[in-house]
Amino acid sequence: MADAHASDGRVRPLVIEPGHSFESVTGSISEIVLTQKPTKGWFLGLTIGFALLMGLLLAIMNLLVTGIGIWGNNVPVGWAFDIINFVWWIGIGHAGTLISAILLLFRQQWRTSINRFAEAMTLFAVACAALFPLLHTGRPWLSAFWLFPYPNTMGLWPQFRSPLIWDVFAVSTYATVSAMFWFVGLIPDLATLRDRATSPVQRTIYGALAMGWRGSAMHWQRYETAYLLLAGLSTPLVLSVHTVVSFDFSVSQLPGWHATVFPPYFVAGAIYSGFAMVLTLAIPLRKFYKLTDFITMHHIHNMAKVMLVTGLIVSYGYMNEAFFAWYSGNNFEQFMMKNRMFGPYGWAYWLLISINAGVVQLFWFRKVRDNIGLLFVLSIVVNIGMWLERFVIIVTSLHRDFLPSSWAMYYPTRWDFTMYFGTIGLFVSLLFLFIRFLPMISIFEMRTMVPEAKVHDEKLEAL
Amino acid sequence: MTQTNYAAPADFIARSRPALMAGVVGVVLCGIGFAVAREQFYRAYLIGYLLWLGIPLGSMALLMVHHLSGGAWGVVIRRIFEASSRTLPLLAILFLPIAAGMHSLYPWTNETLVAHDHILHAKSPYLNTPFFLVRAVIYFACWIGLSTLLSKWSLAQDGGDVNAARKMQRLSGAGLVIYGLTITFAAVDWVMSLNPKWFSTIMGFLFMGGHGLIALAFTVVIATALARRAPMDHVFKPVHFHDLGKLMLAFVMLWAYFNFSQFLIIYSGNLAEEVPYYITRLSNGWQYVALGLLLLHFVLPFSMLLSRDLKRNANRLITIAVLVIVMRLVDIAFLVSPEFNSAGANLHAGEDAVSSAFVNWLDVAAPLAIGGIWVAYFLRQLGSRPLLPLREPDLAKAIAATGGH
Repeated sequence: MADAHASDGRVRPLVIEPGHSFESVTGSISEIVLTQKPTKGWFLGLTIGFALLMGLLLAIMNLLVTGIGIWGNNVPVGWAFDIINFVWWIGIGHAGTLISAILLLFRQQWRTSINRFAEAMTLFAVACAALFPLLHTGRPWLSAFWLFPYPNTMGLWPQFRSPLIWDVFAVSTYATVSAMFWFVGLIPDLATLRDRATSPVQRTIYGALAMGWRGSAMHWQRYETAYLLLAGLSTPLVLSVHTVVSFDFSVSQLPGWHATVFPPYFVAGAIYSGFAMVLTLAIPLRKFYKLTDFITMHHIHNMAKVMLVTGLIVSYGYMNEAFFAWYSGNNFEQFMMKNRMFGPYGWAYWLLISINAGVVQLFWFRKVRDNIGLLFVLSIVVNIGMWLERFVIIVTSLHRDFLPSSWAMYYPTRWDFTMYFGTIGLFVSLLFLFIRFLPMISIFEMRTMVPEAKVHDEKLEAL
Repeated sequence: MTQTNYAAPADFIARSRPALMAGVVGVVLCGIGFAVAREQFYRAYLIGYLLWLGIPLGSMALLMVHHLSGGAWGVVIRRIFEASSRTLPLLAILFLPIAAGMHSLYPWTNETLVAHDHILHAKSPYLNTPFFLVRAVIYFACWIGLSTLLSKWSLAQDGGDVNAARKMQRLSGAGLVIYGLTITFAAVDWVMSLNPKWFSTIMGFLFMGGHGLIALAFTVVIATALARRAPMDHVFKPVHFHDLGKLMLAFVMLWAYFNFSQFLIIYSGNLAEEVPYYITRLSNGWQYVALGLLLLHFVLPFSMLLSRDLKRNANRLITIAVLVIVMRLVDIAFLVSPEFNSAGANLHAGEDAVSSAFVNWLDVAAPLAIGGIWVAYFLRQLGSRPLLPLREPDLAKAIAATGGH
């Protein structure tokens, strides 16, 4: 049990189990990459991910040859799995940015052991997300022409008043800053791997990636400055990216989309699903790679608490939508809510409510937060809930709009599913490669957590 | 740490007397206003009331956040938060004039209007006089209940109750949920229903953000004043103000974020039922108030609070805190006043009326009246307990040389 109970009954956290030294931290994290042979479990996981990834390639091939008609989208539901999956993946990415940037600025030490793989998760999630807007154009090789404002002789520009264009900028900025943040954070560890490498190949590759890091005081000073600046840059991105995603819906006039609460509600939902995914990954990783000393119960608890808070904000959003749909006195708003609850997709709405407003209440209980197995299941359930949320918002608002003559049902095709599970395959494959070839926990930051690092200097502290 | 019981300095608490005098002057002015311009009075009173209500509610919410999150910033100002939140019974009494003035403020109280208006009629299960009053009673019961329990257990902790900290922590989780729900509906009742046809689902967030901001600003003012005197002069360190400054910066940004989101969504949607809110506020002179809010409620405090030196210097931070409090008043006036014409009558009672930008002398007198009484009561509450939670386990760490970092 990683938490120490103080005399007043409140919990004093441990971010690393006792008994570790600089050497044991460095050794146990770097050996996963350098000397351990990949386990059967690793091969099994990568195989599953890779098989799904092949499905993605097949689906993309078919899409490019045949066209987006292979998907189930059609008027009036012109947006479906493509945008649902896009929002779902982008949302998942948010936890990584929150952990790496905001928790760093708030000096929350518990971020240290989970930030590396959470940031990797962000990058991979953004990669999965970005596929959908590119592919939904049907001809992605023309995307640059449609999406990016570049000076051209025909004087053609994208529609700057469209939030879809803001999205292009928001997401590409997000991907760039996240990648830089992740790579900068890796440099000192890459140097460690270089120095401990057992083969010339390892030494050459990690050496090249470490960019000549020698760990001099000058290097550290510049490194710390750069890292803080990147954290400052990333902080607004935690809010802005999903805010812009929410604008995709809310600046329209469609009942169920046009709601002023969308920006904070979407951001909370993103963090909620992101932390669920971090838990989904962290729980097996710490078990199979014996990292329970570094990813302690304290981390698991805190993540469960963040999920509780953001889950409650999301539930507040559902309550707001329902109340104001009635309070508006607007027939279309009221119909939208009624249709959402009791229409043909009502099952999705109630499943979503029972997960995101119901199941989330379990996180109030310490017993639940202590139960690793249950938390693992819940984290997957929450991600299903958040996928359903996007499904409900998007499909139920579109399929019965103002004009009953244009109402229709939406049914996804097998290609919709192939593509969706294919991106999960892409995500899993990238993740398994990452934990094989890079240190999944920041070695040098973990070293600052061991008692040896806690040198008390009165003069320094007085500053 | 010097041995002291951290009693509030008597000369500071004695300022409740001039505050009360100011309040009495305000009350007299309001009395004149009530006699000569009743509609104006109610409107101005609502503005003043919402301004001062933000401090105890925001303090209570931040207090609960602190019980859950911990952190040095909250330990040293916990007693200020608690004193603020103990003023809620006073604010419950001060709500009575609003209940009395309902008919002047809220057009949905007009039964003939409701009978002839389809939308107002449809909303009447929620917007009706008895339910409005019942809801107000529920809100105050929740708020007073929470603040009383938190203060009681905090005092018990001083007396040696080791379970108090755990109890406060447990209540705070549920308390924040209760706060979030009650303030959302209170915002609908007291502000949104000034225009009963308009709605915006972000209103609850706007109020919570405003409460947090004014509570922090007010706390910075009080903490700065206390830091100049014994016994708190050796407790407050630059690092505490640094943390408070950072939190203020965060809330200033949240305010801008919520407001901009609301503006952009309503502006882009351009729907007949929503956009009049901004048309009213961006024409007939109100647009200058909007611009002033943008510059003085966001741009100026935001850019000043970026400075590390300013945040660590209490004497400079206090100027930003005062600016924020003044701008909260302007922001609340900007929520309320444009719904009325310059004679104080609600626009929506007479549909074709126009609101041209105006400030009435009562808009200053009413906040003065409520504020004077409130500050006097607050100071007495502050003086009634030690200024630090003496048996709080985190106290020593929070007031150590590093300020708990």
